[in-house]
Amino acid sequence: MEKFADPRETFAEALLEAAKKDSRIVALSADSSSGSGFSPFKKNFPDRHLEFGIMEQGVVGFASGLATMGKIPVVATIATFVTSRPFEMVRNDLGYMRQNVKLVGRCGGITYNDLGPTHHSLEDFAILGTIPGFTLLSPGDPLEIRKATLAMFEHVGPVYMRIGQQPIPFLYEGEYPFQIGKGITMREGKDLTIVATGTVLQKAIAASDLLKKRGIHTRVINIHTLKPIDREILVQAARETGKIVTVEENYLRGGLGSLVAQVVSTEYPVPVRMIGIDDTFVGTGPYEDLLAKFGLQPEQIAETAVTFLRK
Amino acid sequence: MNQISEQDVKRLERIAVQIRRNILRMIKVYGKGHLGGAMSAADIVTALYFQIMRIRPEEPKWKDRDRFVLSAGHKCLVLYAALAERGYFNKDLLDTYGAMDSKFPGHPDMHKLPGVETNTGALGHGLSIAGGMALGAKLDGSDVKVYVVMGDGELAEGSNWEAAAACAKYQLENLLVFVDKNELQISGSTKEVMNYDPLPDKWKAFGWAVREIDGHNMREILDVATRFPFEKGKPSVVIAHTVKSKGFSFAEGKASYHYWKVTPEELAQAERDLAEMERRLQ
Repeated sequence: MEKFADPRETFAEALLEAAKKDSRIVALSADSSSGSGFSPFKKNFPDRHLEFGIMEQGVVGFASGLATMGKIPVVATIATFVTSRPFEMVRNDLGYMRQNVKLVGRCGGITYNDLGPTHHSLEDFAILGTIPGFTLLSPGDPLEIRKATLAMFEHVGPVYMRIGQQPIPFLYEGEYPFQIGKGITMREGKDLTIVATGTVLQKAIAASDLLKKRGIHTRVINIHTLKPIDREILVQAARETGKIVTVEENYLRGGLGSLVAQVVSTEYPVPVRMIGIDDTFVGTGPYEDLLAKFGLQPEQIAETAVTFLRK
Repeated sequence: MNQISEQDVKRLERIAVQIRRNILRMIKVYGKGHLGGAMSAADIVTALYFQIMRIRPEEPKWKDRDRFVLSAGHKCLVLYAALAERGYFNKDLLDTYGAMDSKFPGHPDMHKLPGVETNTGALGHGLSIAGGMALGAKLDGSDVKVYVVMGDGELAEGSNWEAAAACAKYQLENLLVFVDKNELQISGSTKEVMNYDPLPDKWKAFGWAVREIDGHNMREILDVATRFPFEKGKPSVVIAHTVKSKGFSFAEGKASYHYWKVTPEELAQAERDLAEMERRLQ
């Protein structure tokens, strides 16, 4: 039976673990503390928990100033409100100033399914990816959220990490090495590569397992770091499998698929088929149904892969 | 608090002329630059860098230095002028203003020039960065102080008022803000472009302690800068009434000199104005 965990609780535990080791870590809430996994931190370190209310632009400047004084600030709130809303502050105060600040966007993608487009975040990686020197993390399993959180605090420089809202399954059998910027092969195969990230990594793996039953052996690559992206693992996949399907809970414009296409088209051109959110504001409804609307369920991914292989 | 003698005031007034001379030097090299706001803030910035702030120009990253945030980043010529005069770098570097990959961009870059603490330029946002610095110092129990110069035009940005609320909430007694109220912005009178008067009432309502001064009166600047926090448990703001392009007779109080493209006649007049200022201070 698959075991699931709440991504925010997982982040909360990892943050507490990091904060116990490093007293420089301070948590900045934009009226988003309990929902973003700050509660255990706040309980343990009330003096290091700073509440700013719904001040989603100003809080980024405060984080930058705190970083100047040697703190390691982490700002966490609903993904769109820590990326799109304060974009210019993120670009200038964190990116341009190269500040050691960590942003965490929770309920990313369309995982805030029922709250609608104001609360969806499908462009966060695309826009923050344009900022020089920013690191973008997109962990896909609970263990990985923990590892990415710890790595984020070890890394010196601005980092954005997105997590979802819905519980996600454990995809790793056990301990594994996690390194920022280093993709992970989750399934071996030579017929086709599926590259996936974040919340829908689980769907890509399930699709790969379905395809295996049909005699199609797909390689699955987990790109948990969208920037800097692991060019080597992608070029190797292009060379060895000849075709790539990308799977993401992002707008296709500027998302994982675009990045993969950029890499392979310059280094080893192969056909790439992108599965993700089209150029539209996603409506509301049950999360799994919304994913199905964009072909992100395992059966659909498998079908797309089969059609793509036959072409 | 610190007793400041008449001699000190005179000394600072003379330095303020030299700061204006440095501003002119850069504009002369490049032929243009943000003049008006640099000149209106020149006396405040002089007081901070030559009397008030605890700094070590020879050790610009010294941990316990006071911080200066120029929220209105386009006033950067006054910052460059002050840093050069204070010895953060060789003054001859000022002549590279406007050159390819200059250390003196049109808005300050902390990674290019020693002594620059923040990258500002996108208006209305320096206060939240400064607030973060002051809060960081407070969390550490440090006595570092944070000084800010803002423009009055940039107060139309909402982000300022986010920061104003947060600085009051965290009782940042170690923060002193000067609003360089020269009453003009690029499109004209600040009151007409987007009115935020009465400023003292607004800042008070946000939880700040407020003083008003003549921003060109060195004694008044020093008085407020040596006596803050003005009230216990509150951040302090000074509404400094100033004149845009202060010092250059042809440009004073004119919005069109927000950004000055020099003419030979104006340049000559600017030199005469500086000489006259120096003569009066002898």
